[in-house]
Amino acid sequence: MKTQKILAWIAIAIGVIYFFVPLIGTFEFSLRMRRGEYSTDAYQSVFSDMQFRETFGFSMVMALLTIIFGMLLVVPTAYWVRLRLPQIRPVIEFITLLPLVIPAIVIVFGYLRLYNSSSWIPFTGSTSGTNALLVLSYITLSLPYMYRAVDTAMRAIDVRTLTEAAEILGAKWPTIMLRCIFPNVMSGVLSGAFITFAIVMGEFTMAALLNRPAFGPYLQLVGANKAYEPAALAVIAFAITWLSMGLLQLVSRFSKMAPSRP
Amino acid sequence: MSFLVLDNIKKSFGQTQVVKDFNMSIEKGEFVSFLGPSGCGKTTVLRMIAGFENPSDGTISINGKNQNRLKTNQRNIGMVFQAYALFPNMNVFDNVAFGLKVAGKPKEEIETRVKEMLALIRLDHLADRYPYQMSGGQQQRVALARALAPKPQVLLLDEPLSALDAKIRVSLREEIRQIQRQLGITTVFVTHDQEEALSISDRIVVMNAGRAEQIGTPSEIYNRPNTRFVASFVGTLNIIEATVADPSANTVKVGDNTVRLREPIGALNVDDKISIALRPEAGSLSESAKGDTAIVGKVISSHFLGSVIRTKMDVGGNQISFDMFNAPDAVLPQPGEVLTLRFSSGDFLIVRD
Repeated sequence: MKTQKILAWIAIAIGVIYFFVPLIGTFEFSLRMRRGEYSTDAYQSVFSDMQFRETFGFSMVMALLTIIFGMLLVVPTAYWVRLRLPQIRPVIEFITLLPLVIPAIVIVFGYLRLYNSSSWIPFTGSTSGTNALLVLSYITLSLPYMYRAVDTAMRAIDVRTLTEAAEILGAKWPTIMLRCIFPNVMSGVLSGAFITFAIVMGEFTMAALLNRPAFGPYLQLVGANKAYEPAALAVIAFAITWLSMGLLQLVSRFSKMAPSRP
Repeated sequence: MSFLVLDNIKKSFGQTQVVKDFNMSIEKGEFVSFLGPSGCGKTTVLRMIAGFENPSDGTISINGKNQNRLKTNQRNIGMVFQAYALFPNMNVFDNVAFGLKVAGKPKEEIETRVKEMLALIRLDHLADRYPYQMSGGQQQRVALARALAPKPQVLLLDEPLSALDAKIRVSLREEIRQIQRQLGITTVFVTHDQEEALSISDRIVVMNAGRAEQIGTPSEIYNRPNTRFVASFVGTLNIIEATVADPSANTVKVGDNTVRLREPIGALNVDDKISIALRPEAGSLSESAKGDTAIVGKVISSHFLGSVIRTKMDVGGNQISFDMFNAPDAVLPQPGEVLTLRFSSGDFLIVRD
């Protein structure tokens, strides 16, 4: 028993060292820009870079649009599947898992072939069209996480009975969705939103191949040309992801919308 | 004309017919219970009244108006669900106010009505609570207030008590009945609990395999069951396999005992088999009983059940249970003991399939 406990602690220690040592190393390195002393020069350099602000802002907007349109797609789909078409649930689960199996580069090449400027739907023919295509591709990428987060939240509230309860009280579909269902799956929606945000902020392949000024390609560009700034950017990217995860935890912990059930 | 009429209702899911030729007329203000085992179609009938399911055939009308083509939200029906189904994001006040808000009632009217409803269920002090902060019984009372707030023409109760513990179940069912009487609202109550149905209904519909086996008052259902299913489903019943002794004298043989029935035996001959039923509470022990109002049997077992003592005895290969009220000096009959049970000829029912 005691040996097992020690082995468990050794395994945890190896994991922690494997994960944290490179991170601490990166952070320490990011502070070494000034010769002979620690400073935040690398961070100041990053934050004062116009391109950082532009790409960060661009990715933020893309993330926001991905969350909004992704949720507009996922929430009604998950709701309808639970309520009326439970038999097609395995199909939907399979479709939403595909982005995990198909590499992003394959997806984006598919998009470029289908939606290039000489196609029937020439998304890439204009900047706004390409941006729209980027948002759509981000929605695809985040689908596995978004769908599962929302679907789990719906499972917790017994969507069918709540819908019927609202319906028999005279409510129509928009009221049912907006006042009875959506507020009760908010924790799932927010969880999905934070994961989506973290994915979009760090995504490289889609943005680079669609040639959009996103944060991911900027990270790669800086990494290829500078020494200390990439380390600072890596720490910033980690901070963003952790902040998203922290908010996710917070939302699920403080969600008081416990389901009403026997 | 009756207030709620279910005329020749049928419902099929794929190849399976779950409701078969269901006919029922319910008067205004009546409290009717659908009683039956799981899968007998009682909830499906209720869901068709609510509009959640469409009948495959037949019509449902309320107050003379055909409901078949109306959507659920156009029917003005209140419903209480087994799983409470309170909106978790709304407090008690908002839950009760929901139907009124949806109907676009003025704010003052909503406030007055909600307060009235909360007073009715005696939870006016919990208006700010959320469902997760309340017990099951409280939640179900709020669900009842929510269903009643928009003044529905019919109230549907879909096994509203089955998720509650025994004591709360009894007190809440009495409360539901009292509120129903007070408001005079036509109510359909679905349950698989016979005691619930017997205790609060004006009439009971006993359902089996998609059909109404018998419709009647609780007393009719309990004392004069029409079929073997109703007899065995409602209450505890001894089904005794007997043979006809003398058709003209209306007597049958149970083991070595000859007993007289009040109900006519009909076109049966001597030695024909006949099933008769006897409620455990019908007979009583009597050493002096003789003739065709007595049955002699040997005790198999005896159990103390609190308010009653249930004794099982063997009479000509039939096991007959009978109940005696508990008394401080009551002695449990011992296995092997020979007892004489006295009854009246009206206690026996002829069971028809």
